[in-house]
Amino acid sequence: MASRDVVVYKTPLSRIWNIFTVVFIAFYLLWTLLPLMIMFFSSFKDLLAAFQLPPVGAFSKIGLFFDFTPTTKHYYNLFVNLGFTTYFFNSIVAAGGSAIISVVLGSMCAYALSRYDFRGKPDLFFWIISTRMAPVVAVLVPLYAIFRGADLIGTKAGLILAFTTFNLPFAIWILKGFFDNVPYAIEEASMVDGSTRFQAFRAILPLVAPGIGAFVILCILFAWNDFLFSSIIGSGGAKTLPPATVELVQPQNIQWGSIMAAGVVTTLPMMFLGLLIRRYLVTGLTMGAVRE
Amino acid sequence: MASVTITNVWKYYGKTVAVKDLNITCNDGEFVSVLGPSGCGKSSTLRMLAGLEHISAGDIHFGDTRVNDLEPKDRDIAMVFENYALYPHKTVYENMANPLRLRNESEETIKKRIAFAAEMLEIEHLLQRKPMELSGGQKQRTAIGRAIVREPKLFLFDEPIAHLDAKLRARMRGELKIMQRRLGTTMIYVTHDQLEAMSMADRIAVMNNGVLQQFGTPQEIYNHPVNEWVAGFVGEPPMNFIDCDLIEEGGSFYAVHSAFKVAVPSDQAVKLRGALKSSGVRMGIRPDQLAISLGQDGAAKGSIKITEPLGGDTLVDVDLKGANHVLVKTDADFRGQMNDPCSLNFDTSRWHFFSKETGVAYF
Repeated sequence: MASRDVVVYKTPLSRIWNIFTVVFIAFYLLWTLLPLMIMFFSSFKDLLAAFQLPPVGAFSKIGLFFDFTPTTKHYYNLFVNLGFTTYFFNSIVAAGGSAIISVVLGSMCAYALSRYDFRGKPDLFFWIISTRMAPVVAVLVPLYAIFRGADLIGTKAGLILAFTTFNLPFAIWILKGFFDNVPYAIEEASMVDGSTRFQAFRAILPLVAPGIGAFVILCILFAWNDFLFSSIIGSGGAKTLPPATVELVQPQNIQWGSIMAAGVVTTLPMMFLGLLIRRYLVTGLTMGAVRE
Repeated sequence: MASVTITNVWKYYGKTVAVKDLNITCNDGEFVSVLGPSGCGKSSTLRMLAGLEHISAGDIHFGDTRVNDLEPKDRDIAMVFENYALYPHKTVYENMANPLRLRNESEETIKKRIAFAAEMLEIEHLLQRKPMELSGGQKQRTAIGRAIVREPKLFLFDEPIAHLDAKLRARMRGELKIMQRRLGTTMIYVTHDQLEAMSMADRIAVMNNGVLQQFGTPQEIYNHPVNEWVAGFVGEPPMNFIDCDLIEEGGSFYAVHSAFKVAVPSDQAVKLRGALKSSGVRMGIRPDQLAISLGQDGAAKGSIKITEPLGGDTLVDVDLKGANHVLVKTDADFRGQMNDPCSLNFDTSRWHFFSKETGVAYF
């Protein structure tokens, strides 16, 4: 196999470009991480400390940001007084449930679309992805009416179903690409070895694991971050973290400390999840596109 | 173990005909090779045998069982794929164990069978590796191992050694033949390499454009091809074809070309009588059935176009008068140079005549 290194020859221009790249990345990191950092520290400060700001331009006073006595009272408030334990649990159930359902149904459907030829397949395929083309807002009202009729408003099952309607087409679309890249011969070998079509499908699942991993992450992210579905369909019995956080903004009192803590609580699990399947995510999102 | 009977089998892909009215009977324990160029329907045939493709028309029987509607798993076959089709995430051991696991064999049996197969294929030291860490030949052995751990009725091999390098291919040819003899299992082996078919098979089915051309032993195929296509496809270097006229003079037949006039032996003349009326015949003769000499005293006169010394022998491309290039296989010590005049003698007992229109062999 040939070396995969890209051969680059240094020119004065490339040196300037390199410096520019580093500067750009530094600014970008600052831009991305600073708000997260402020959120993280503020969640441990009491309100007075949180609003202690150095004068504009006084960089020597930057230490003021870190000059506080850490307190966990906002977290305590969140989980004990404001019922965030339930919301957190709701978020996990809704995101996880829809991810699992989407991945199970989606991989089976994607496999079928990848392997079988039937009349109208391109149309069916386009129809599946076209359900994702309309913005959520456009379908929300009819969806609400349907869910209302089915008595699914404010239930976790309803929320899972709502997320699944949006995640499933996406799952099929992504996973079909992965199945297309798995040689037929492997499942044929499996069938000749004595497995049924379904066992053969299961035998090649490990080969699309990167795709499934990537999809699960995207699916959970969508459900976790979603505000519209959760506030309208999940309102009441199945409130998730984002609408619960919004409720902390009250006309007479914006509970900044609790909002910051809720932000941390919402962000951290996704960060860990990202780290956990980072490897899959990278190979997953590129593998579908590259023929080996 | 079982015999295989393919009766009037057709395969269509949409409107394209891949296999046309195929009839092959393969005896129990026989090694049958299906030979043909790419797109000739040989792989479709094999896949129909495996149950991976539907049979458009006709019947396939294993022994007395009609298998048309049986799923692959119920046919009791083992198949080796061209691209090996190993499970990339499983070790060699697990790859080989898979067919046994699917049949709920005990761990003990699995261990025993794999040990047997691994020893036969000399891959005992590779059992814990994954396919990615294997060379092409080792992958191939693993794929074969996966097929032989079970004792299936039938082996189906789909160009299993096509992607190996030449040296390893030569070695695997011998090993596969030994393996098949040792196991005694009926084997159907698809290949486009006539050398593989000739060297391994008990009988060869030669296919072209979905039609079975000839089914016979390697000797029959080589020595008595039924038509021009088979004659040209089997044999390396390929047979020479020379268009010539057939005339009758004083009771004897002569093959006449602008460069030569050669008498046809009388036993062959009988078979050629029908060809007299046609506008001409095509003579076929293999490169080693021609004798070349540098003088002008042979039957056909020409000049040397190029010589290709191969070490053991030399290939000479001869320009016959009348624009025919004729390939001759001769000794290594042949000393002809480019453009030297030369002459050829035909081994008339082993040449062939084909109809110019249909390509069918007179003999």
